[in-house]
Amino acid sequence: MGATLISAEDIKKRYEMGQVHVYALKGVNFTLREKELVVVLGESGSGKTTLVNIVGGMDRPTEGRLHFGQIALHDCDEAALTDYRRNQVGFIFQFYNLMPNLTARENIHLAVEIARDPLNVEELLRQVGLGDRGNHFPSQLSGGEQQRVAIARALAKNPRLLLCDEPTGALDLPTGRQILSLLSEFRDRYGKTVVIITHNTNISRMADRIVYLKDGKVEWVKKNEKPIPAEEVSW
Amino acid sequence: MTLRRKMLRDMRANAGSYLACLALVVIGVVAFLSFSIARDNMVLSKESLYREENFADGFAELAAMPEHRLRKIRRMAGIRQASGRLIRDVQVHDPEREASVYLRLVSLDLEETDRLNDVRLLEGEPLSDKEMRCWIDGQFFEANRLELDQELEIIAGGRTRELVVSGVGICPEFVYPLRTESEIYVNPEQFGVAFLPDKIMWSLFPEMDRAFNSLAFSLEDGAEFQDVKEELEIELERYGVIEVYPREDQTSHFILTEEIEVIGTMATFFPVMILSIAAFIIYIVLKRLVEQQRGQIGILKAFGYSSRAILLHYFSYSLTLALIGGAAGGLIGMWLAGPLTDLLYEFFHLPEVYAGFSVRHLLLSLGICLAVLGFGGYHGCKTVLRLEPAEAMRPPAPKGAKKFFLEKIPFFTSILTIQGKMAIRNLFRSRSRTAFVFLGIAVSCAMVAFTWALATESMPKFMFQPYQEVMVYDARVNLENPRPRKAGREELERLAEVARAEPLVEIPVKLIHRWREENVAAIGLLPESRLYNILDKDGNRIVASDDGLILSERLAENLGAAPGSTLELESIFLRDPDRTVKVAVVAVVPQYIGMNAYMGIAGLEDLLRRGEFATAFLVETAPGPGTVRDRVAGLRERYRESDFVAGVDEREDLVALMEEQWETAGWVINLYVLIGVIFSFSIIYVSSLIVLSERNRELASLRVLGMTSREVFSVITFEQWFLAFFAVIAGLPLARLIMNAFARQWSTDMYAMPAEMSAGSWLAGIAMTVISIWAAQRFTLRKIKRLEIVEALKTGE
Ligand SMILES: Nc1ncnc2c1ncn2[C@@H]1O[C@H](COP(=O)(O)OP(=O)(O)OP(=O)(O)O)[C@@H](O)[C@H]1O
Ligand SMILES: [Mg+2]
Repeated sequence: MGATLISAEDIKKRYEMGQVHVYALKGVNFTLREKELVVVLGESGSGKTTLVNIVGGMDRPTEGRLHFGQIALHDCDEAALTDYRRNQVGFIFQFYNLMPNLTARENIHLAVEIARDPLNVEELLRQVGLGDRGNHFPSQLSGGEQQRVAIARALAKNPRLLLCDEPTGALDLPTGRQILSLLSEFRDRYGKTVVIITHNTNISRMADRIVYLKDGKVEWVKKNEKPIPAEEVSW
Repeated sequence: MTLRRKMLRDMRANAGSYLACLALVVIGVVAFLSFSIARDNMVLSKESLYREENFADGFAELAAMPEHRLRKIRRMAGIRQASGRLIRDVQVHDPEREASVYLRLVSLDLEETDRLNDVRLLEGEPLSDKEMRCWIDGQFFEANRLELDQELEIIAGGRTRELVVSGVGICPEFVYPLRTESEIYVNPEQFGVAFLPDKIMWSLFPEMDRAFNSLAFSLEDGAEFQDVKEELEIELERYGVIEVYPREDQTSHFILTEEIEVIGTMATFFPVMILSIAAFIIYIVLKRLVEQQRGQIGILKAFGYSSRAILLHYFSYSLTLALIGGAAGGLIGMWLAGPLTDLLYEFFHLPEVYAGFSVRHLLLSLGICLAVLGFGGYHGCKTVLRLEPAEAMRPPAPKGAKKFFLEKIPFFTSILTIQGKMAIRNLFRSRSRTAFVFLGIAVSCAMVAFTWALATESMPKFMFQPYQEVMVYDARVNLENPRPRKAGREELERLAEVARAEPLVEIPVKLIHRWREENVAAIGLLPESRLYNILDKDGNRIVASDDGLILSERLAENLGAAPGSTLELESIFLRDPDRTVKVAVVAVVPQYIGMNAYMGIAGLEDLLRRGEFATAFLVETAPGPGTVRDRVAGLRERYRESDFVAGVDEREDLVALMEEQWETAGWVINLYVLIGVIFSFSIIYVSSLIVLSERNRELASLRVLGMTSREVFSVITFEQWFLAFFAVIAGLPLARLIMNAFARQWSTDMYAMPAEMSAGSWLAGIAMTVISIWAAQRFTLRKIKRLEIVEALKTGE
């Protein structure tokens, strides 16, 4: 395993809702290393999405310190966060979130256009097995196909960190496996750090490390001595 | 690049709204550009004519001033240049025509090289002191199909003379020549201007030998008209000065300027209205789009697109429209400005001057579109800036639907269907759209009601009331000089053609109230007059009083006078013209054309310390063989070469002229009504489209539940009718306000527009609005039938 990519110290996130406020994160500590595949586990409402949003620069912690390499994300202004998202992070969501009126290829181009050092679009399309579907609109693709486009799109910018929030949540087992193996394949080929959020314990068997969140805190972190290949994951 | 593709597809998916917006922008810019270019051209033409032909800064009308006194006037402080003219109206005798034709003869000093109010010769020969030849104004020349070297028979000083047309010209003083103050339209078939050498004029009118009755003067730089006027009035006192007035009050200049201003108002009023609707549409459309695409915005932000880049993306929708609209509108507008200018030049007989193609106008129209749509667009999509990226990823907090207040009334709830309840809750939910539709329906209903009232009530009243209700004589016999009225009346009533004759006095007076003064014609009438009615606001006759003056509303307003006020009156008809007399105001009445003061004829004579006299007689012809026209022609024939009758005017001629004008004005007014209808149609249509795309999923779900497309449609129509009901109620007082403002804006010292609006016009406004709502809904229904249920349910992100 490589050097530390992300380090989070005592991160708290508070949501204000009128008079009441809720702590979604109550002091989270953890690190991510380069080229690592980490699974974040936790029950619904435990704060997983909140945490990746913060790690991905979409949201700012209310308290705590968060570093990406030398960059102090907790201190960044909007422009710096945008720059961070643009160059270092790729997002993959449960419901794919493709632009409905752009074709598969155009969805990937959208990311390429703002990237500093993008990957080749056609090659990515081939690698996710959609070499001949580039001109199709999201509504003409199945869920698994849409998610593969989303992965290609996240990867196209050539970011160092891939954040996947429930990437298989809406898919059946074989399709979910395909997605997971794509993710680990890309981690191996391009040397990305991959974070997969899920409440599905089975998926954690393919991880290098597992972070378990409960009620806004890290309950435990476990190193997986023998990660299994994605194809063997089942649920 | 890819985002631009997204934009184009977004726009295509909702083409109706964008096209409606684009169409409005193009129409707005075309209207703005074509009218303002035409206006600029007219100003250019007017100003170059004034400059090149030396249009005077001031005028003085007087009884008679000897020619040699002019030198003294020219030396007066503040006066740069002065020209003396002898101006006389004469009749033209044309045996083939029944109507009377008048020419205003204006003298020219041929020795003066740099004349004021000079004539620009368009074709023909120079004049000479030796021959009875003249130049004639182009409108008269054309309208009467004259030719060069043609002879005109004029009746001057009671004798028939032959005048040869030597040239055709245009003079800044008579671009818009009117014969009397009670006319508002030029009538070139019956009235024109002829320019003759002064020597010839004097030979035609020996009693005015070597004398002038009009002065034109220009001011030195920095001189104040008011100062010069005061000096002049003293200087001209002994020559019977009637009025000294500035260029601004000169009839032709006044009307020409007024008309150019009307064109200028058109150049701003319509475009501003149309463009603000376009801005509102783009505002609503973008606001909705941003709301709908929260998820997409979230992804863009997650990728690392900056807020500014995303804002720019949505903003570019309106910029695209602005650029297309500005360029298309600019080009069409500039292209249309040419024919429009030609039309106006022909109407006003102005020399043709064109500014030519200008990049400035193209840039201007682009600028306007960018500003208007940019404003609307920016406000529509600025919420993008406030969306936090993580926030944008969550669906919008469902808008709280509440029971609306009317639902608390059990009766009301019981009569509403489920669709009705949905519709009304929706109205309360999206407030800004509701406000947009409400305002749109109210404004379009008001527009239709207003234009309708204008076309069927105000304009007809304005144009026809003066000659159909006020002046109801068959003919008016104008005298050269005042004559005893009783003898004149008896003489006229003895004629076979005449059933009744009434004397009338019309004299120039100056009325003074405190520090304000007005020069107007005072009209003396018989108290029992049947041929000239003074009418109050409700159309009731008011008897011309011997005790005081009845003022027209505008005159009373200008003088700051009301019934009970006491005015001072000056007139050259006063027995002792140096004095002023006091006179009370007894009533104020509306008057649509001109501005006058009325009094009983005997009372007026007493006031002037004069014996009985008249300056004209009003005649009702006797029933008998032939038409009124024939009898008036008989009367005219009798007095053709009379020394004391200046002319016989026929009321029918004026009514006919008005009718002719009314026909041309008619299509413009119909155009206004049409604009009102298109306006309400497009507002309703766009709002339906917005509702449709905003609630695509919701409506599709209703279809899934098993509702027919008609039932789904009824949710939308119920919403619109419910809103329309209240909007129409608000529209009616708005129509009244617009009418009052319009009447006020349009009224000048020369004419006043009555603000008439009855229930009929309101009904028309309501009917037209209902029809356009209905028509717009038919279009929407077609779209609903094509609504793809599966597509609609799938498109959520
Ligand atoms: N914008 C917000 N306003 C208020 N509370 C919020 C907001 N977002 C999240 N929360 C709360 O924070 C807590 C954590 O939410 P989060 O979305 O991180 O959970 P999660 O672990 O991702 O759950 P799931 O597995 O269901 O996606 C929840 O209790 C949630 O109600
Ligand atoms: Mg979550």
